[in-house]
Amino acid sequence: MESKPRLLTILDVVTVVLLLIATYMVFFYAPQEAVMGDVQRVFYFHVAAGWVGMLSFLVAAVAGIFYLVKKDHKWDIVGLAAVEIGIVFAFINIVTGSIWARPIWNTWWTWDPRLTTASVMLLIYLAYLMLRQGIEDPDRRARFGAVYAIVGFLSVPLTYFSARIFRTIHPIVIGSGDPGAQGAFDMTPLMLRTFMFSLLTFTFIFVDLLWRRIRLGRKADQVEQLRLKTME
Amino acid sequence: MILSLLLQDATANTTSYMIAGFAIIFGVMLIYLISLLVRQRNLQRDLEVLQDIQEDEK
Repeated sequence: MESKPRLLTILDVVTVVLLLIATYMVFFYAPQEAVMGDVQRVFYFHVAAGWVGMLSFLVAAVAGIFYLVKKDHKWDIVGLAAVEIGIVFAFINIVTGSIWARPIWNTWWTWDPRLTTASVMLLIYLAYLMLRQGIEDPDRRARFGAVYAIVGFLSVPLTYFSARIFRTIHPIVIGSGDPGAQGAFDMTPLMLRTFMFSLLTFTFIFVDLLWRRIRLGRKADQVEQLRLKTME
Repeated sequence: MILSLLLQDATANTTSYMIAGFAIIFGVMLIYLISLLVRQRNLQRDLEVLQDIQEDEK
């Protein structure tokens, strides 16, 4: 059995410690928001999950470019790993946003530009996974995955800027938002520190999960090649 | 006294939504981590079976 790299074990420990500290900060260090109450605490991990989702899709697009240039299968493994993680965190981002919206907007869901583009982005990458399943030839599958990840990445800046370009009720906490936004608040220094620490923690979670998912992809590749060899 | 009552009214009681939000965050991350570990274990098992088959063929 392939042994686990020492650096990955260290990364696991650091990530768990950071997550514990971030959770402590969210609940006990950051003050309660005066109007929204406790549900505002979801914001720290909601935004961090959105950040990891978008970062993952960026990594997938970059891996796609590298695959098309170098034709090295390892970039396909990286791309697939990043998309899978991106889907998990984009899902967390959307669901926690919906939970926050219920008491603040008085609805679970509204077809606001930010919510709509985020959902479309998630669906685009879910389709990536489903379409890959339908391609038998590994080279064709990798080529398709690379092109799809690059083109699909267009949905990421569209989602990010949607709350800044279009009229929206989605609040923008950093920078100026639409005056019609509902649920916006000014971050106190303690809130800002908690927010930045949450972003850092989720970046560590991303790197840790990506490494683990790449190892899994390499093993799946090994099994597939051995299976083909056995069938010959 | 009056001020504290006014402040109490101003802050909404949204604790249950916060709990639901964090349950989703930690629950989904945990499920994904478990899925990675289970898939890794299953692939290792497949790999060992295939290696045994190859050795038998030799």
